Amino acid sequence: MATLGEESRAREDALRRMERRRRFNMAFFLGPAFLVVGLFFVVPVVVDIVISFSDLGRDLRITEYSTDNYERALGVGDTRRDRQLPGVIVRTVIYVGGTLLIFNTTFGLILALTTTALPTGSGGFFRAVWLLPRMSPSVVYAILWIWTIHGGDTSLVNQILTEVFGASEAIDLRQLHPMWVIIIANGFIGASFAMIILTSAVRSIPDHLFHAARCDGAGPLSLIRHITLPQLRWPLTYIVIWQTLSLMTSFEYILLITGGGPFRATTVYAIFIFQRAFSASGQYAYGAALTFFLIVPGVALALILWRLSNMRKLMQQPRIEVQ
Amino acid sequence: MTTRVATVLSEPTAAQAHWDALARKARIQRRTGLALLYGFLILVSLPVMVPYFWLGTLAFSARLEDVNTDVLWPSIFILVPAVMLTWVWSIFARTRRQAFVGWGVIWFIAVAVFAVVLGPSLHLDNFRFMHNPNFNTENDTIVAAEDNPGFSVTAFPWVWTAFANSLIIAGGATIIVVIIASLAGYYISRFQYRFRTSSLAAMLILHAFPATVLLIPIFILMWQLGLLNSLLGIMLVIVGLELPLAVFIMKGFFDAVPWEIEMSALTDGATRRQAFFKVVLPQTVSGMIAVSVFVFIRGWEEFVFVLVLSTKQAKWTMSLYTFFVTEENNLGIDFGLVSAVALFYILPSFVLYALAQKYLMQMTISGVKG
Repeated sequence: MATLGEESRAREDALRRMERRRRFNMAFFLGPAFLVVGLFFVVPVVVDIVISFSDLGRDLRITEYSTDNYERALGVGDTRRDRQLPGVIVRTVIYVGGTLLIFNTTFGLILALTTTALPTGSGGFFRAVWLLPRMSPSVVYAILWIWTIHGGDTSLVNQILTEVFGASEAIDLRQLHPMWVIIIANGFIGASFAMIILTSAVRSIPDHLFHAARCDGAGPLSLIRHITLPQLRWPLTYIVIWQTLSLMTSFEYILLITGGGPFRATTVYAIFIFQRAFSASGQYAYGAALTFFLIVPGVALALILWRLSNMRKLMQQPRIEVQ
Repeated sequence: MTTRVATVLSEPTAAQAHWDALARKARIQRRTGLALLYGFLILVSLPVMVPYFWLGTLAFSARLEDVNTDVLWPSIFILVPAVMLTWVWSIFARTRRQAFVGWGVIWFIAVAVFAVVLGPSLHLDNFRFMHNPNFNTENDTIVAAEDNPGFSVTAFPWVWTAFANSLIIAGGATIIVVIIASLAGYYISRFQYRFRTSSLAAMLILHAFPATVLLIPIFILMWQLGLLNSLLGIMLVIVGLELPLAVFIMKGFFDAVPWEIEMSALTDGATRRQAFFKVVLPQTVSGMIAVSVFVFIRGWEEFVFVLVLSTKQAKWTMSLYTFFVTEENNLGIDFGLVSAVALFYILPSFVLYALAQKYLMQMTISGVKG
């Protein structure tokens, strides 16, 4: 017969075993994910900050730590300042703002509204067409762009201009309007992001709102203005933040289509870092310092996203353990 | 009853006529609206559709030093009327059978015209890279162009080497991400622990936080770990980039599994882990397929990290292979070859996407389905 002390000891043992199992489960289920996230997001941020204070170059050796890189970027102190940086920042603002305004929000919204107004099959077809650029590998997408707009007689644009519009000379859009080229090339891809998210947002608006508004005599435009758009406010905010981040940092298509040229006309901030770090000069440390100035707004925008999204709404209460 | 209604309807009164006029007007308005919408969407979609279509025609038709839209425009002139007729017929056909017969006739004629007009110019020679590893060094035009300063002929690895490398990277990353994301997604969805909400939020933020920013530190990290020039290194990077979103999506799929299933497993004496593997996990197969597809497509297309992290030709992926084939043929020498390579590269992505669209549409991202 167990005494009272033994009983409580047994209960304590059981509790301890439960606790141990809980910890094991946590490590088993969450451990791998946190390991990967730590290795590819947390460690790199720390490494970046450390490198940015060093003089790591092509030889991959650090000889001293200093704030030279930051002084060079900000143009303070006695280090020679980076003359290209102001131009780069202006171009980045034009590129990010232009793509975001024209394609990633406005045009994506137009695509979502028009394709949802069509019968389901046809709407799906046009959405599939606009997903083509997103689905195709960047290298292939860039090849298509180059073939379409290059300066020779055989490019698609020049063939249409000479055959249909009777133009006498071939034009090279990459020389004439490089900024428009990268805005449109990135916009064709960015538009589909807004299109997908807004399509499902439009679909989830209850039908009775539209019926009621139509009974009150609303036309198609006032339906959009007073019923649809107010319902799209949160998805649109989300798209703007998300796309600002990815536009600021992605450079794959620019690298492949214009390479930052001609004469640096499309050298935006992200590709500038890439060139400084991985081109012939190999200034890894300076690149890391420039990267730091992207990490700061990156974290800030991500935190805003967190504030705006209602995380609690996404969580169901667990029903097996209760606390 | 029916006859009475019919007689009432057949006697037009003043009010009736008014209703008919209104209905007609509404119908006309609706049709014009739809026509305008279609017109608009076709117009804006042309710049996307035509280049892809061109790529397809080039791959099967371009010969060296041909004017290379010889096939594009005629095939558009055949395809567009065929599509228009199909569409018009689907409005006028009264039964399903009629519709199918009409479409059959239209497309039979279209294919016949296509075969007669363009058949002779189609060929498969551009796909020679698939069976001839040395196609590039044997290419006369390129070898002749070698006299140009700054032009060199690279002996490419065989395309199947690059294909296998891409497959290993994309496939490996897919498997790892699916396993890790299922485990983490389940834990976040079902267990009670202290940082539950914030760990989900962290995943969302990390996904929004773009990893191309971290190109330099990841390069240094990979160098330190001795993973430069290895497929494993690139695979791990892709795992890192795609994991946050994958966890988020898997969590959504686990949320949709009813609690009762799990509870009954526990009542029958299963542990949490047994319940997960034997009962809950099989319920989320469509989620795992969705995650697999987008991770695979992502790994398949990765370019920047491959360019930075690997320099050896034996480690080329399809993206680098296509890139360098283009670079070498960029002077307009062999459009056909480049298109064939590009088509070969693009096809797995498209096929996967088309097959898995059903599953991809079930993904939930931050409360909005996407």
